[in-house]
Amino acid sequence: MGAIVYGYFTDELDLLHGIKELQEKGISIEDVRTPFPVHGLDSVLKLRRSHLPKVAFLAGIVGLTIGMGFQIWVFTKGWPLNFGGKPYMSIPSFIPVAFELTVLFAAYTMGISFLVRSKLGPGQIPDILDEKVTDDHFQIILSEEKNKMNNEELSAALAATGALDVKLLKGEQ
Amino acid sequence: MYVSPVREPLINGEKSYKDITDDVIAPIHSKPGKFWYLGIGISSTVMLFGFAMIAYSIWFGIGTWGVNRTIGWGWSITNFVWWVGIGHAGTFISAILLLFRQKWRTSINRAAEAMTIIAVMCAGLFPLIHMGRLPLGFFIFPYPNTRELWVNFNSPLLWDVFAISTYLLVSLLFWYMGLLPDLGTIRDRMKTVWKKKAYNFLSFGWKGSARHWHRHESMSLILAGLAAPLVLSVHTIVSFDFATSVIPGWHTTIFPPYFVSGAVFSGFAMVLTLMIVTRKALNLEKYITVGHIESMNKVIIATGSVVGIAYITELFMAWYSGVEYERYAFVNRALGPYAWAYWIMMTCNVISPQLLWIKKLRRSVGFTFVLSIFINIGMWFERFVIVVTSLSRDYLPSSWTMYKPTWVEVAIFLGTFGLFFTLFFLFIRVFPVIAIAEVKSIARSSAKKFIGKSVRNDQPEKH
Amino acid sequence: MIEKKVIPEAVPFKFSQKLKNILYIAAVVGLLALVWGIFVDKAPSARIWANVWLNSLIFLFIGLGSLFFWAVNTLGESGWQTSFQRVLEAMGQTIPFAAILLLMALPGMKDLFEWTHTDHLDEILQSKTAYLNIPFWLIRFAVYFAGWWFFANRLRKISIKNDLEPTENFLKRIRSTAGWFMVFFAVTSSMSAWDWLMSIDAHWFSTLYGWYTFSSMFVLALAVIILITIAFKKYNILPHIRDEHLHDLGKYLFGFSIFWAYLWISQYLLIWYSNIPEETHYFVERTENFNELFYLNVLINFLVPFLALMTRGAKRQPLYLAVIACVLIAGHWLDIYLAIMPGVVGHEEAKIGVLEIGLPFFYFAAFLWIFFISFGKAKATPENHPYFKESFDYENI
Repeated sequence: MGAIVYGYFTDELDLLHGIKELQEKGISIEDVRTPFPVHGLDSVLKLRRSHLPKVAFLAGIVGLTIGMGFQIWVFTKGWPLNFGGKPYMSIPSFIPVAFELTVLFAAYTMGISFLVRSKLGPGQIPDILDEKVTDDHFQIILSEEKNKMNNEELSAALAATGALDVKLLKGEQ
Repeated sequence: MYVSPVREPLINGEKSYKDITDDVIAPIHSKPGKFWYLGIGISSTVMLFGFAMIAYSIWFGIGTWGVNRTIGWGWSITNFVWWVGIGHAGTFISAILLLFRQKWRTSINRAAEAMTIIAVMCAGLFPLIHMGRLPLGFFIFPYPNTRELWVNFNSPLLWDVFAISTYLLVSLLFWYMGLLPDLGTIRDRMKTVWKKKAYNFLSFGWKGSARHWHRHESMSLILAGLAAPLVLSVHTIVSFDFATSVIPGWHTTIFPPYFVSGAVFSGFAMVLTLMIVTRKALNLEKYITVGHIESMNKVIIATGSVVGIAYITELFMAWYSGVEYERYAFVNRALGPYAWAYWIMMTCNVISPQLLWIKKLRRSVGFTFVLSIFINIGMWFERFVIVVTSLSRDYLPSSWTMYKPTWVEVAIFLGTFGLFFTLFFLFIRVFPVIAIAEVKSIARSSAKKFIGKSVRNDQPEKH
Repeated sequence: MIEKKVIPEAVPFKFSQKLKNILYIAAVVGLLALVWGIFVDKAPSARIWANVWLNSLIFLFIGLGSLFFWAVNTLGESGWQTSFQRVLEAMGQTIPFAAILLLMALPGMKDLFEWTHTDHLDEILQSKTAYLNIPFWLIRFAVYFAGWWFFANRLRKISIKNDLEPTENFLKRIRSTAGWFMVFFAVTSSMSAWDWLMSIDAHWFSTLYGWYTFSSMFVLALAVIILITIAFKKYNILPHIRDEHLHDLGKYLFGFSIFWAYLWISQYLLIWYSNIPEETHYFVERTENFNELFYLNVLINFLVPFLALMTRGAKRQPLYLAVIACVLIAGHWLDIYLAIMPGVVGHEEAKIGVLEIGLPFFYFAAFLWIFFISFGKAKATPENHPYFKESFDYENI
């Protein structure tokens, strides 16, 4: 990992402003860390819409199929039992369980996908540069590798946006 | 996002982001006071007593309860439905209110969700004990076995197993995913190394990256979309336990939505009971304002009135149906041997919430607190009326009988209160009671110092 | 971030001659269908009256549903709807005309309601005569309409008055009026559903019926609100309506279609499961003799909106949303068709012919006519509403 330059703002509007200024200079942003989801940040950073809804939808279909399929199999092939004279395959009474399984599959598949995709999980040690990003600091991180400028230029550009306490972290290798 | 200046602020006082963090985390940092020790002491004692009584009834059998052949479901199922109902507020607040963009939810959703999860755990105990042989409880799940037998998927009781387990699991997921950023916040405020490590473990290594937030928001929205019908489905399926039968007073088609409404009603009452005390004890009055209490009271009038209309509809339909059993069931409710329970229910659930139409009472913290307890009592009696009164007078007069709980049943019920409060006391020491990140995210539009100003400077002034 | 599109000047709404001509033609088509039904098709009187009743109810539901939508948003202190609030207000103004249309079907009461044949009531129906008798039924009819009309009018007056002389207590007044309306509506929406729909199958009863009918009413109203809003956006009468508004309306349509399906399955499942003959006969009649339509109803009103409106993009695409709204209007027409026809006409004579397809045009034309007239009477937007500005500056996440 190459060297990185970082600094912070104390107001989210200044952060959005700062990002725009940097982008105008053609600097690509490595990461932004904020204490809460800042409104409008995704569009400034041009983050693509997440695929998680699609994952949830597909997992929901799997859950529904398993739920319905299994119940139908049990009551027609597995062990058909007569309950209250109802037909073996009585779809209305399979709906509740199938619905619950749909939701269960969709929710958990999405939750786990979120963690995997974001590389979050029990035991993860995050690379925290400023402990206050979970409090009231809005941090911009620039990486030397992804920009054509050197450290000093990046630091100067970042400081020019009004970012406070601009620091440099040398790469490990 | 512009917020009209006529709206009441959701955060009072001049709170900066840092203040929000510090105020919410304070109870986790500080040493617990003597009230906390007293509270958890009493509730855990009651809990242990309840557990002992559970052991007692398992050892000696359900014969130690007051249930009999006619009234097979006594307090146990009443308590079960009551607790499940209470467990509806949390997910309602965080899912349905999120979909309706009700920003006031952010101050109460975390605690309400925790309450939901605890209440569902309390609820789940009752059917498990009631089944008798607790070690064979796993029979309720469809698992491959040598007899190649499966559970009865046609039975509403089995639907309940799926509904309650799914609800518990999904609520847990929703709650925990929302907690991740806040646990990260706590981690970074901790000074001791082991605490830092522990909270880092719990927070899954959260670091507040924009990409994570972006995904997190989109996941929360979909989870809310999934949880909203789930909330509806849970009490719907609980109501199916009754309504799919042919017992007059149980079998009526209005049950599903009416149960859901009643559940949200009682859930909000319990949230109010808890939060009115919590906001005082933890100094969170600036975040859980009188405006929040008023909003919750509005939900209470709405759901309470829906419940009231459902009562009247049932009553009218019993007459309109022309079925003599239906008619008798409702005459019996209002005038029979359990009429007192019916009238407690009517007074607490239908009449008392109507007082909230008065703005002054809606905004009175003391009144709301008392009322919320009345509603909790009323909703318990609603379930009692449905379960016991309906069963005590069925089609066959020779089997008519009465039911009286034994002290074992009473003690188990009290024990669940002990469990509920013990876990809640632990919760407020370990986890943030208010969703820190979510409150911060609405501060810009709805905190007192920003209200009436547009969040963006680039927005068009006129259209 | 906010789309920095240039918002065109609002075109003041004028009920133009061209628009009037289109509505004339639609109304004439509807009336021709009626004439066709009577003279060419030689439809039995029950079928004629059932159609008149069905369409009048739909006419009412659209207006009443939007009045509810407006009141509930007012009570919920929401701001986003204020930019098209005048559409809702004007739709509410159609309610008294619904009374006239329903009254026009009264000569056919004997065909519509079995319980009016007082001479040969069976034992069960006799036990209901305290409620199901013509004078009391008419009194209730009058009370419902008096109340709805009173509130629709009063809310509208408060709202319009605020355009001219904004007052401090505007929100308070409109909210308390909306609150009283909600109380009245909560009782009367169920009762009117019993009176006008459930009592067609006079032996049958279901406690859920009122709420089920309400859900159908609400989806119908939402669909029409969406259509009108999209049209007004297109013709720059409400140029400031953004994708966000459509997105929200789409979410309502999506959510309440699911809610409708939830009530549908709740009612069906409980009756099917308990299998009590007094209750099942209602569904037996429909599943045996109206089989295709019975399942088509669920397909159109649940599966179509559920799959079609699931994605974000779908709700923000005006034309697409409009098509789904049209499908749902047809779907809920079918839902009410299934509530009325089996009881009134019977499966041997009920069909979907020229009469059924053509007659609604008359009612929709009448609805739009009254709507346009009342919409033209006030400003297109309630500019002094305290939440008015909020309605432009918001986003869906």
